[in-house]
Parts: sequence; structure tokens; C-alpha cells
Amino acid sequence: MSFEMWAEKYRPKTLGDMVNQKEIVERLKSFVRSRNVPHCIFAGPPGTGKTTAALCVARDLYGDAYRGRIMELNASDARGINVVRETVKTFARVRSIGEIPFKIMVLDEADNMTSDAQQALRRTMERYTETCRFILIANYSGKIIEPIQSRCAPFRFMYLPREEQDRYLRLIAEKEGLNLLDEGLNAIFEVCSGDLRRAINNLQAAASLNKPIDAKVVYSIAGKANPADVRKLIEIAMNGDFLEARKQLRNMIRKYGVAGSDIIRQIHTEIFRSDIPELWKIKLADVVGEIDYRLVQGSDEEVQLSALLARLVEASYELGKKI
Amino acid sequence: MYAVWVVEHKPKSLNEVVGNRDAIQKFANWVKSWEKGVPKKRAAFLYGPPGIGKTVTVEALANDFHMEFVEKNASDYRTEDAVKRFAGLASQYGSLFGGKRIVLLDELDGLTGTADRGGVKAMTGIVKTAQCPVVLIANNAYNPRFSTLRNYCLLIEFKKPPTSEVMKHLKRICLREAIEVEENALKFIAQRSQGDVRSAVNDFQALAQGKKKLTYDDVSWLGYRDRREKIFTVLRMIIYGKTCVGAKRAVDMADVDIDMLFEWIYENVPAHLTDPHDLVRAMDALSLADVYRGRIRSTQNWGFIRYVVDFMSAGVAMARQNTKAGGWIPFKFPGRIRMLSRSKAERAMRLKIGRKIKRKCHISAVRASKEILPYLRIIFKNNADMAVGLAKWLDLEPEMIEYLAGTKKKAEAITQLIG
Repeated sequence: MSFEMWAEKYRPKTLGDMVNQKEIVERLKSFVRSRNVPHCIFAGPPGTGKTTAALCVARDLYGDAYRGRIMELNASDARGINVVRETVKTFARVRSIGEIPFKIMVLDEADNMTSDAQQALRRTMERYTETCRFILIANYSGKIIEPIQSRCAPFRFMYLPREEQDRYLRLIAEKEGLNLLDEGLNAIFEVCSGDLRRAINNLQAAASLNKPIDAKVVYSIAGKANPADVRKLIEIAMNGDFLEARKQLRNMIRKYGVAGSDIIRQIHTEIFRSDIPELWKIKLADVVGEIDYRLVQGSDEEVQLSALLARLVEASYELGKKI
Repeated sequence: MYAVWVVEHKPKSLNEVVGNRDAIQKFANWVKSWEKGVPKKRAAFLYGPPGIGKTVTVEALANDFHMEFVEKNASDYRTEDAVKRFAGLASQYGSLFGGKRIVLLDELDGLTGTADRGGVKAMTGIVKTAQCPVVLIANNAYNPRFSTLRNYCLLIEFKKPPTSEVMKHLKRICLREAIEVEENALKFIAQRSQGDVRSAVNDFQALAQGKKKLTYDDVSWLGYRDRREKIFTVLRMIIYGKTCVGAKRAVDMADVDIDMLFEWIYENVPAHLTDPHDLVRAMDALSLADVYRGRIRSTQNWGFIRYVVDFMSAGVAMARQNTKAGGWIPFKFPGRIRMLSRSKAERAMRLKIGRKIKRKCHISAVRASKEILPYLRIIFKNNADMAVGLAKWLDLEPEMIEYLAGTKKKAEAITQLIG
């Protein structure tokens, strides 16, 4: 077993190594071939390869010298307008030497940038297009101001399908000499459902127990942030206890950092699995869809999801009346 | 029974009085000058904002100089007759028992027109003829009614002491009460008091009494305290509002910003709207208000704020169709804000570790601390070898290892392996 973060160790190095997001990767490869990359927005849920894709583009473009040509900035660590003014500008305006005249600026979590910073960025992007191309990475593209969106080629990253996540985890298990059981693999998908970074972190933490990795181990690792919790969340709401349900939701988001998009996706799945009347399933699906849309538009996750929980409380109340 | 700290820990000596060194020196010199005979000004007029130690200074001085201390304040009658009866006391320097005497007329601002009729005039008379030091205290010496009186007095201004001085005083109390207090907690209390030492000590007692240790988190919510009553009224007007206009007007009344008010409403609506349909309508209104906040962000059109206000106030008010107003349900401080102020130290540590992860893993420190750190904790608790590798790879410091491992023992095992 090696002792670094496996999610990093097994991060694909070139676009050719990337196993998923086939269409996106193909388009990016064509950018590399033509030696020209437009400004891009990579949007999509966590752990689906957005940062990796950006790094791969840089490596494929510049070869070994890529480090000097790319700069990564995490918006949630330094998202003020000054950072954009100073850091970004300084990097963006200096022409790079070599065959390709532009550098690449990766702005991670761009949806966390303040609007002021985004406004400042907009001008910078325009002015220094010759010398610098921007790749903006975001969970929700809706949180990026429209003028920037219209300057970028949009790419929507999707959660990894089951087979691809499994294939990747199996490969790591083999290289690290792990005893990864099928039920463990199942459990990881259930817990992480296509968020590859989380899946790999889960695998590594599970491996640290030095036991065969079965479902029990995985669930114990995933602890508070596994689907059973979303199930529990729904259960509490369907019992009519909104305040308790909101408390659970708050913990999931704040303490365990579960993404709102994950929670809503799991609620959606659970509704169709549950034993409420068929008609209600489709009624609730409409509500879930609406809230999901509001989330993507860039709103507060807890506020939106608790509006959904209120709907569940109401549904259980209506159902109770009918019986 | 607990004593009141303001009394219990009142400075007994001039050198314990907080701040105002110059004023105190001037005052002490004047009192000393009485030794050489009656000075030109027979009274000292101490003035300044409340709670900064004017009365305390006089008491402490009387104590230091072993003087007999005679006091009259607003709680006594101060009509002309009452003051004149008092006058006899000021007519001789030595008291009956041989000691020297100092006379204090406190809280002169409290003199009211009719009840204390002639009081100021009588006082002026006393001051003119006093045979012992007379001290007058008021918040505002320049009140026109004191204009004559002022001429016969040595004016000494007391100013608000700086935060550092207030802190010194609080620290003395900590020592005496054997309470351990985080420095920034003390600073917070001291700053909040804005130089009013009395209120600082009162706040401090309310927060610290009965505790062994007082942390910043215990006090940080205090900032919102003064506004609590007002926000309760606003919340009542919104949640139980009958008209859209009334609910919207409530928003203008609130002296917290829109986002903070949103948090208050969002926190408290569910406990008040017990009918599920009402709850759904209210939460949907809040959800829409929040959507408009998002639209403001993405379009930069701040005009949209009016829709945010509409939904969070009128929208919530109109949600209540079935729930009856009545019964008393307490309003709660927004839980999400409380969560933020809590465990500040822990968040700082998590972020520090997050920064280490960031350097290796192409992820922001904030997200690393949320998404990767939990897995590191599992690994550090269960597998020392892997922990050693990761600690080296991430270049973690000992305190970080201890945080991740959870116990000192495990952390030591890991650190030893690192060598």
C-alpha cells in the first residue's frame, strides 16, 4: 500500500487517461490538437473530473513545462475582488514564451466568487484573451454571472456511471493489493454514486482498517454521510417532524459537507423506492424537480432543501388524513 | 448567594481605578491642597459619561486618604431645605471623630424641576462657604442649570477609558474569581462596553459566573443581545402579519440587515406555523426570496432586493391561513449563525489542515477541510503506518496530527514513527 492520497496518485495525467466524460474529453482533445483553447466553464457535481480535465489540457498542451504555464486559484480560499485584480491580472497579462502564446488560468469553485470579483474578471478575460485562457470550474454554472457565461464554452460534467466508477476502483484495489469485495464496491457506489474523488477517499479510508473491504466496512466509513442518512431524513420528515428534519439536513450540509445536489438526487431516488401511493410519487417528483432547478440557479442549499422537506411533511399529513 | 461583582470588585484604592489617570491626579492634588488651607475652588465637579468611575474615584480617594465619606445622591430629596440640612456637614473640615471629611453630591443630572426646587441654589450656597472638600458629580456639567454653580467649582472631566484599561480591570476580577478566560473573549466584552466599565463588569458577571472557563464562543453572541427585543417585534409582525403592507413595513423596522433578518425568519417560522400547509407556503416563500437573492448575484441587479423582501415578509405573512395566533413560542437566535460562531478554534484548525491538503490535491482549503479531512481522521485513528505516510506527504504539523488522530496517545505513536 502506498501512503499518499490515492485520489491524487491515481488522478489521470493526460486527456487520454481520462475514463469518463467521453464527449467532453473528445472536444478538449480537439482543442489541444488545434493548439487553441477558448475560455471554458466546466460545470458539474464534485468528483467528476473537472479539475483533472483542466490539468490534463495543460499537460497535453505544454508537455512537461506545463507547470509554469498554468495557475490554479481556488475561489473559496481567496475570492475577493483584489485577488482577481492583482493575482489574476499579473498572471494573465504576461505573454508566455514558446509555441503557444497563451497560458491557462484555472479558477476553481468560480461559483463561490463574489459578483464584484466576477465583474472584475469579466474585463480581465476580455483584455488578456491573447495571453491567457480561463477555465472556470463550478458546481453550479448558474452562480456565474451571465456576461462571463456568454464568453465561455460550457461543458457539463456528469456523475460517473456505475461501470466506470467500479472499473477505476478495481484498478486501484489491484495496484494497492486490496481485498475489495463486490459488496464493498456496491456499497461505495451507493455512498458516493459517481463522485469519484469521494469514492477513492472512501476506498482508502476503508483500506486503512486492514480488513477485507465489505459493505459493512464501507458503510461504517461513510458514517454520517451515507444514503441511509437521506433515508432517515425523509423518514423524519414523513413523520411530520420538520424541525428535526431540518436539523439533520443542517448537519449533513454543514458538518459533513454533503453537497445539496447529492442530497436532492438521493431524495429523488428514495421517493420512487418508498411505499407511498404511486400518484404521490409523481407529485413529489415535480416538487423535487422545481427545488433542484432553484438549486442550480444558485441558491442557498439548506433553504431550498428545507422547503422540500416541508413538502414531505405536508405530504405525510395529507396521506395520513386519507387512511 | 452571589455578590454583585460591580460592588464586590469595586476599586478600593485610587491606583485600582480604571483609566483617567490625569483626572484622578488633578482631583487628588486638589483634595491634598486642603491641607494647606481652603483653596480657591471649594468644590470639584467631576463629569463624564456613565459607568467610567467618577463615584468610584471619590470613594477610593476617601479610602486612600482615610477621610470620612459623606454622600448624597439622587435617591435623596434635594429640595432647598433638605440640602440646607446637609450643609452643616460641609461646614467643618474635621469630623467629630477627628478625621477629615469629604462630601459628595452625586447624580446631579437627576435633579428634577419641582421636587428639587431650589436644590441647585442651595448647593451653590454650600459650595461657596464649604469648609471641607465638596465633590459634585454629573454626566453633563454644561447643563445650563449648573451655570452659576460651575463658576465655583474645579471642573474635572472623566473620559471613557480605552479597551485595554477595561480589560485590565476584568482580568483582575478573573484572578479573584479564579476564572480562566480567553483573551479575545475579554476583549470582546471590553470593546462592546465602549468604555462603560460598570456595564462591562455586569456583562462579564452574567456570562462568567459559575464557570471555570469562559471562551470566545460563550460571549460572541452577545453582540446581538441589545437588538433582541426589537427583532422579536419584527418577527411577530411578519409571522403573524395580516396584511402584506404591515409585514413589509416590519422589514424597515428591523435594525439588522436583510440577510440577517432572513436568517431570523427562516429559523423561527417552522416552530410557529404548525399547520403543514402553512409551513409549506412559508418555506416556499423563503425559498423564492432566496432564489431572488441568487438572481441579484448573477445579474448584479440590486433592484431585485424588493422581491426578496416581498417574499420573506409578505410571502411569509400570507402563508398563515390555518395556524392560530396564540400561545407563546419563544423566538430563537438563528441556528446557522450560531453554528458559525461556535467552534471557531476547531474551524481554524480544520482550515489549516485544509491548506496543507490544498497544496497537494488541487482542491480549495475550504472544501478539503470538509470533504477530505473526515477520511483522514478515519485513517489517522485506525492505521498508524498509513497516517505516517500521509503526514509526511502532506507535511502536517504535530498539532494537526493530534487533531486528526483524536487522542494524544495515538498522535504520539504517529509522531514517533515519523521520527
